[in-house]
Amino acid sequence: MRYPIIILRKHFWDCKLYKVKGYFCKMLRQFLEVLVSGITLGSIYAVLALGLTIVYGVSKIFNLAYGSFFTWSAYLAWILTGGHFKLNYLIVIPLMIPILFFIGIGMDRVLIYPLRKRADWQTTTIFLTLGLALFLDTLAQIVFGPRVKSLPSIFPGSIEIHSFTISKNTIGIFCLSILLVILIELFLSKNRIGMAMRAVSQDQEGARIVGIPLDRLFSYAFGFSIVLVGVTSVFVSSFYNISPSGGWNPFIKAFVVVAFGGLGSTKGALYSAFILGILEAMVAWLIGGVWIMPFWFIVLLILLIVRPYGLIGKWG
Amino acid sequence: MLEVQNLYTYYDDFKVLNDVSISIESGNFVSIIGPNGHGKSTLLKTICGLLRPKSGIIRFNDKIISNLPAHLLVDIGIVYVAEKRHLFPEMTVFENLQLGAYSSHSRKMEKENLNYVFDLFPKLKIRKKQLASNLSGGEARMLAIGRGLMSSAKFLAIDEPSLGLAPNLRVEVFNKINEINKNGITILLVEQTITEAAKYIDKVYLLEDGSITFEGTTEDALSNNHIKKAFLGL
Repeated sequence: MRYPIIILRKHFWDCKLYKVKGYFCKMLRQFLEVLVSGITLGSIYAVLALGLTIVYGVSKIFNLAYGSFFTWSAYLAWILTGGHFKLNYLIVIPLMIPILFFIGIGMDRVLIYPLRKRADWQTTTIFLTLGLALFLDTLAQIVFGPRVKSLPSIFPGSIEIHSFTISKNTIGIFCLSILLVILIELFLSKNRIGMAMRAVSQDQEGARIVGIPLDRLFSYAFGFSIVLVGVTSVFVSSFYNISPSGGWNPFIKAFVVVAFGGLGSTKGALYSAFILGILEAMVAWLIGGVWIMPFWFIVLLILLIVRPYGLIGKWG
Repeated sequence: MLEVQNLYTYYDDFKVLNDVSISIESGNFVSIIGPNGHGKSTLLKTICGLLRPKSGIIRFNDKIISNLPAHLLVDIGIVYVAEKRHLFPEMTVFENLQLGAYSSHSRKMEKENLNYVFDLFPKLKIRKKQLASNLSGGEARMLAIGRGLMSSAKFLAIDEPSLGLAPNLRVEVFNKINEINKNGITILLVEQTITEAAKYIDKVYLLEDGSITFEGTTEDALSNNHIKKAFLGL
């Protein structure tokens, strides 16, 4: 436990070298930068967590291959933008959305639908997705090799505000993620299929009573979820490298966000994504990047002690 | 309108319905009575496609419907109103009603149906923007029936609507159901005993241990010694 304290002191000592006014200016500026990066992280986690929680809400299963779809979408984008075709993102992203949607629907139809007739299909399906994850990760390693790949920036260049510079990519991804979150919320609250998804997650029997075809809705939820993880993957991979098992980290983070917000709750996922995103940025700033996951873990534990069903969660 | 012939339904290996046959004329108000746990809800759920029959035939307007999934049955107007209501708790009253009109057939009629439901249950109109979980027992019951009507129901199967309601609310609910019936919707009502609704009912079935043991008009039922003994304690 000595490590963070030392870092804090060192940091404090460094800052003392500045004049008092300059020191506050610097801290304030750093704080704002950290806040912005926290909100950016939060919006990315929000999209990832929404994709995961929608499938859970509708079908009460967790898709453990979620991270592998993250990886494969990144590789798909790599093939399209850098690897083989030199396409512009303006073409790549609209091209990927329908492909991902049909991959999701295909996965549900081919792998999960046949299991659904059995009594205990949820458990079986969760293990099936785990197997699928290992298969896809290994396949990625065979096809693309273990060396990391990277995507070009979606928005190249940087801009200067006052004296500090921000890359256009950060601002662009931030705006796109927020836009995506708003679109998902609109879809869930106004669109007929989105409303049906919420209905199924709140009362499956009630949904059958009003005539919602569950099988078709499961497929839509899967397709939708894969689109969200795929698009987010392209956003994230324009910052970080792509590796064959690189999807696990975002998956685990999305999982924590979902558990924090309350399983199956879209509103909870949204709030907790921003809370944990800002927490992550703050921890990385004040203490250091290695402490992010321990802090997430502690915060999750405390929350689950106080509210066992998550922020806005209900069982069943 | 609806004909059930030799219906058997199982929960896994446990036989719940044993050779049930009933028939309902268009526009009728029919009630199924019987003690708790003897298969009344199972019969309704089987008719509405929420459970699969093991054998037997269900006909609706001379079409065989016994193997259709629930959402296709809602499309042709067979709607179940559950005893446990099965509302969507975190949605508003209005959203619940909107989802009642989910099927493609009823979406075209959404506006008319909505006006009809709000005319029938003015309280729902007042509480339009509230979450379904905040409704009182009586209001939730009205919403469940209203949601059923939003599906352009021709045949409404209502499962114990009086359960857990105060006597004055029970009378109100039955009056509303009668009003719906007078508007041309066929009603199949499940209750444990002969209730305040008796005066509206055209036909009574008694379901005991998964089989129909009595069939007749309300007067017949009230004068039947077996029913008197079992339900009225006379």
